[in-house]
Amino acid sequence: MNWKLFGPASVLAISLTAVVAHAETIGPQGEAATPSASVTVPDGKVAMLQGGGYKAALLWHDQSDFVNAVTAGASDEFARLGIEVVATTSAGFDAAKQRSDVETAMAKEPDIILSLPLDPVTSAAAFAEARDAGVKLVFLSNLPSDYQHPRDYAAIVTDDLFQMGKQAADALAAAMGNTGTVGWVFHDANYYVTNQRDNAFKATIENNYPDISIVAEQGISDPARAEEIANAMLLKNPDLGGIYVTWAGPAEGVLAALRAAGNTTTRIVTLDLSEPIALDMVRGGNVAAIVADEAYELGRAMAAVGARALVGEDSPPFVVAPAITVSAGTVAEGWMQSLHREAPASLLEAAN
Amino acid sequence: MNSAKVWLAEREAEKWVLYLGFLAIFAFFALTLHDDGFLSRRNLVNIVLQTAPATIMAVGLVFVLSAGEIDLSFGSIVAVSALLAAVVMREAPAVYGIAAGIGTGVAIGAINGAFVAYLRLPSFLVTLATMGLFAGIARSLTDLQSVPVLNGFFTGFFGSGSLAGIPSLILWTIVAVLVGHVILKETRFGAHVLATGDNAQAAAVAGIRVARLRLSVLAISGGCAGLAGLLYAGRLQAAKYTLGESDLMTVIAAVIVGGTALAGGRGSIIGACAGSLLMGMLNNGLILMGLSVSEQMIVRGLIILAAVAVSMREISR
Repeated sequence: MNWKLFGPASVLAISLTAVVAHAETIGPQGEAATPSASVTVPDGKVAMLQGGGYKAALLWHDQSDFVNAVTAGASDEFARLGIEVVATTSAGFDAAKQRSDVETAMAKEPDIILSLPLDPVTSAAAFAEARDAGVKLVFLSNLPSDYQHPRDYAAIVTDDLFQMGKQAADALAAAMGNTGTVGWVFHDANYYVTNQRDNAFKATIENNYPDISIVAEQGISDPARAEEIANAMLLKNPDLGGIYVTWAGPAEGVLAALRAAGNTTTRIVTLDLSEPIALDMVRGGNVAAIVADEAYELGRAMAAVGARALVGEDSPPFVVAPAITVSAGTVAEGWMQSLHREAPASLLEAAN
Repeated sequence: MNSAKVWLAEREAEKWVLYLGFLAIFAFFALTLHDDGFLSRRNLVNIVLQTAPATIMAVGLVFVLSAGEIDLSFGSIVAVSALLAAVVMREAPAVYGIAAGIGTGVAIGAINGAFVAYLRLPSFLVTLATMGLFAGIARSLTDLQSVPVLNGFFTGFFGSGSLAGIPSLILWTIVAVLVGHVILKETRFGAHVLATGDNAQAAAVAGIRVARLRLSVLAISGGCAGLAGLLYAGRLQAAKYTLGESDLMTVIAAVIVGGTALAGGRGSIIGACAGSLLMGMLNNGLILMGLSVSEQMIVRGLIILAAVAVSMREISR
């Protein structure tokens, strides 16, 4: 594992300390986490917001189920507070497009911007115009370089990333009877969210499960290549007890490789909900568990932070939404808790 | 004589269709979004600023396509050039960074060109390979890390600065488009590019050094990509391996919509510039309309399809 993937050296040092000593999610600048449930708009301020004619823009990094759920949570909270969502964008992980999206949205003069800054260095300039115009910035997971709380932004809201990785490790260990060998498929990119989750899994296995050893490590940057990566991993380690896959997209490829090899014993654990992965789990296949985040709650909390800032209420700098482990028996509840919608019919049918 | 008249008529028709379409879409956004800031000076300037790197890539691509070749690697060149320039400027003055960025672009373009011109390999396959090759090099260059650009002269010259009230990115766009237009339409080299794209064998018989010309157009495309990389680095005050990655299809669409033939022999720099602005205007207007991201993609795809259908139909008439 290349530890440089973590980003700036200071973050690396703090992250390592956190992994070893505190075992909890910490912010990009080492901030302690505040649970999202404690971040709400005081009842007394709701009427003030509703009459204010405020506007919000949602400038996302990409499109996904996760982003849709965050958008839903934020939109519902904004609607409750009478705040209009005037622009929604996706940068497709392109830092230059993100800068353009901020500029474009500024034409609609939003009071709040919710966004995931693609990386600290390039986003510092991208959000400067909005920050200087007094827009309340609420960031998802990442922070532009040298932005100060609460002067420059209202808060960072993210998943409990460490818990997601840790719960994945605990679920896989339980499925393996706390013994055996594991393959670790991590996201080979400098990306705070996946890096924290991946490394929390690894640290938990290494620190808490002495009879489980990580015998294969493989980075992945293109989810489409997951199947070949899994094939190579299984070729070298045919008796792997489990495979951790950094998120559900590539896990589908890993599952395809196991099926093609007729392997019914290697267990998979992955992060983020996906219908094909969950279907395999419900049918008693290779997938042992899926760890998900409460994305809808995360969106609600982001909207609440922005609204609080409009009425002069500071929020804690680093807010986290909880992680949940979804197993074959809890698919219906898990879907509702994470994405705030019914689980796909295929899963509900297979579960009954 | 008669065929020349027809040829001219076709050229005019083709131009009019693109520009009328451009105006129609502009008018549509102006009417529907007049309360949403679309017509504000800042927003209109933003559209030009946001499209500046893509427009400059498009200028290079017009030369390549006009000569009957293609370049798929320019997006990767953007990233390598921007990163190298940023790394150089950590220690050295801006001029070295600029030289590194442009020089890298021209050099990679020339490597592409050498494979195409002298090893007689198809440019599609050569640049498909080097697209991946240099994307990988961009990723490994700084180990996926973004590199900040703190040189104030550089970020002003290529990003946030202005001259006589005109932002530098707009000046770069104007310079690149004018220079490209003059070279393509008014010089012997430009005529040779079009002749080679129209019929390479006939061009060779007529004494045009086809191999050297192919190398030249790919080097020009590389140089333009290098310049686009500098503009991105100036605008973002940082360089990252993802820069340029998503521009490939946008730039190809801009160039084709602008009246350049995919099969060679016909090219329009002004048209490519209009095509690029059209793409930027679509991105901007569809966001301001408050469409969801999926809806933006669907509408943009449909409009580009219509634009390509109209402009190609006019050409082939």
